[in-house]
Amino acid sequence: MYGGDEVSAIVVDLGSHTCKAGYAGEDAPKAVFPSVVGAVDGVEAMDVDADSAKNNSNSEDSKTNESDKEKGKRKLYVGSQALNYRRDHMEILSPIKDGIVSDWDLVDNIWEHAFRGCLMIDPKEHPMLLAEPPLNTQQQREKAAELMFEKYKVPALFMAKNPVLTSFATGRATSLVVDCGGGSTTISPVHEGYVLQKAVVSAPIGGEFLTDCLLKSLESKGITIRPRYSFKRKEVRPGEFQVEDVGVPDTTESYKLFCQRMIVGDIKDSICRVPDTPYDDKSYANIPTTSYELPDGQTLEIGADRFKIPDVMFNPSIVQTIPGMEKYGDMIPTVRGLPHMVMESINKCDVDIRRELYSSILLAGGTSSMQQLKERLEKDLIEESPHSARVKVLASGNTTERRFSVWIGGSILASLGSFQQMWFSKSEYEEHGASYIQRKCP
Amino acid sequence: MGGTDAKDILGLRKTPLSLSHEKRARPQKESHRKPDGISREVYALTGGVAPPLMPSIDVTHLKRPPPPHEKVAWQWLPINSSARKDDLQLYHWVRVVNGVPPTGDYSFAKYNKSVDILKYTDDEYENLLTDPVWTKEETDQLFQLCERFDLRFTVIADRFPLSRTLEELKDRYYSVTRALLRARAQSPADLANHPLMKEPYDMTRDRERKRALSMVLSQSRHREKKDAEILAEAKRITEMRLAARRAADLDVSGNENIGLDKADGGPGCSVSPSSNSQLPATAVAPSTLTMADYASTLASLRMLHVYLRTYGLEQMVQAASSAVGLRTIKRVEQTLQDLGVNLKPKVPTKTVCDEHLELRKEILTLLNLQKQLQYKESEGSSHREGAYAAMPDTPKDRVFASEPFSFGGISAERPIKKEPKRKGPGRQADTPSPAHKRPRKLKASDL
Repeated sequence: MYGGDEVSAIVVDLGSHTCKAGYAGEDAPKAVFPSVVGAVDGVEAMDVDADSAKNNSNSEDSKTNESDKEKGKRKLYVGSQALNYRRDHMEILSPIKDGIVSDWDLVDNIWEHAFRGCLMIDPKEHPMLLAEPPLNTQQQREKAAELMFEKYKVPALFMAKNPVLTSFATGRATSLVVDCGGGSTTISPVHEGYVLQKAVVSAPIGGEFLTDCLLKSLESKGITIRPRYSFKRKEVRPGEFQVEDVGVPDTTESYKLFCQRMIVGDIKDSICRVPDTPYDDKSYANIPTTSYELPDGQTLEIGADRFKIPDVMFNPSIVQTIPGMEKYGDMIPTVRGLPHMVMESINKCDVDIRRELYSSILLAGGTSSMQQLKERLEKDLIEESPHSARVKVLASGNTTERRFSVWIGGSILASLGSFQQMWFSKSEYEEHGASYIQRKCP
Repeated sequence: MGGTDAKDILGLRKTPLSLSHEKRARPQKESHRKPDGISREVYALTGGVAPPLMPSIDVTHLKRPPPPHEKVAWQWLPINSSARKDDLQLYHWVRVVNGVPPTGDYSFAKYNKSVDILKYTDDEYENLLTDPVWTKEETDQLFQLCERFDLRFTVIADRFPLSRTLEELKDRYYSVTRALLRARAQSPADLANHPLMKEPYDMTRDRERKRALSMVLSQSRHREKKDAEILAEAKRITEMRLAARRAADLDVSGNENIGLDKADGGPGCSVSPSSNSQLPATAVAPSTLTMADYASTLASLRMLHVYLRTYGLEQMVQAASSAVGLRTIKRVEQTLQDLGVNLKPKVPTKTVCDEHLELRKEILTLLNLQKQLQYKESEGSSHREGAYAAMPDTPKDRVFASEPFSFGGISAERPIKKEPKRKGPGRQADTPSPAHKRPRKLKASDL
């Protein structure tokens, strides 16, 4: 490989929806699992204060009631295999809120699972490349560095920003990265390998938000999505099944929601399409429906929702027409559609580089593999943009590449020969402290 | 070659014709023999030539067996790179030949390049570089960022903690570096060749350029289309109004005695195009053609609001001299040339054109007067001849007598003649522009 020199680095990308980890130099991550943790409080085994544990969505609150002894009894389950098994009183907790890490204990567990469970490596021997969101604070970076060096004793560390890695994955040093991820959509310009932080635009509308919209919309139509654990299929006659409900009273709400979201997420991935023109109810009232079979045998007929849900990204005010999503109504007026956000971000940059940004707009993230997203974005941008600038939206045809583009960029970066001088090594950490990371990882 | 392969695969029988072809083709085939190291199918795919895409790999290298006397192994060895200052030990796979690892620096260390930024000491700062707007801390920070980001000013402007525009940062950096270069230079000669000194950074020009670029880039396609539509619409309406007004003026001028001011008044007042649209534009009386032309020219000129001054001047000249014959025009032009004035002004600004027009009119007037003078003289002399026909012996006296007479006659005639002509030169005297710089020409009225 020209310019490549592998040092067996590990690349970890902790996103808000999935965590991706693997060896640098490969073209796909080996370990991909949801970045949530199932927590079962040891409190339940002692049968004390059962109600409070169930009602609290965050197990942190219950700890303040109990003594320190019970804290150690909390069992955490990480990884898709562990999460798919239903356990009583298991709460689903996410370490990432609004794009930044809020609970380092959970992150620690996730990393542990990735290293020892999935990749089966000893972190002491491998330099580590972490991917971080573009607007990460200094405090977060220092905490991550501390955790890595103190607990996992890695020999070297580097923290790279997500848009820069996506840009490198397509071979460009300057581009505008539109990252449509699970938790949020972030638009960041990258110039010569550095993110222009003052021009980063972010919106809380991501894949999970769209899944929630679809879920609420289906529920309002009277369709209940039964999670997989809640029913059993018994064969009454050959080829014919009868569905029986399984009573599982001790399952937490968050777990139920987690399972429902998995199913609805699959519906969204397979059926939803971005409409070519802005959505309005009248023109899509008589659209032919597509059918989808749920795991419990029900068949759904989805018509207008197919187009309505993805259009939320381009026109967020549609959310108010979906029953059940009113709580987001106050947040929506400040959020603008995707093409407007792109224009806003470009206009915040220096005039000289705007043309170059317009002609290299990259799509990344799981949500960006929605059908027709690229075409619709290009069309809207060409209308609104200045006519002297050539607008070009680039997205790799492979959906795997779009989902993992950040990880792939990290894999490329960590295996380059000329990158090996940029690692933040353990001796530098010991000499200068964690704040030195600001200097080393721009 | 590919054809026979396909036939083989399909199980078709080879025709006897192809067999004979094969025999004949065989001597040719020798020269087309594929080089070793490329598989047959690949070679056939590319049409019988080695792939030109990889010039760096010689075809003979592809399947070269390893030289037997060397023992090659791959070992996981630490990297020794001069680019790293600490003692980080990273390992990589190294091709080891005969148990001897390769020596020398890490092959990628040579890519560790950076821009060399001049660093100033505190003394130099105090003496040369103080600035009312920039503090020392800010300048220090700026230089640190410049070094970290290798003078990528877009990124530096993004990361600079205080809010300064990119142009200000560039300006400060370049002015500091120039001052340092100037102070440190051994001789002016090597200083002059430094690119920073040859082309100084001009902040205002940079700002102007960026402003213009942002204006170009802020026009969205949508708006461009709308603008184009509106302009086309406006042009159509203008044309329509112009045609209608021309018709109205021609009609109006045919009925009145027009002077220049009337023509001004006509197009000046707003005539509704709808009422005039029914008037045919082609019905024009020939007697009023010249004045109508003049009026319509002026009308069209004022309608357009924008016209080429040379074109306008030509129109006016034509209009002014349309009343006189061709020979007079030629004499005017001859006089102009004798005076050394171009027939068309070289620099047609407003004052120049006005003066030129004036000049032409004055020359016309002069010629007219001269003609009148001659005419009257001949009249007067013919009268005198008639009256004094009996006294032919004193030619001197006659001449002498006739001259004062003629002079008297002329001076007698002159005032009379001057009256109707007063309008001409008198008017000229009234209308010269205030910026009348050239010395006043001797006018007919001065004599």
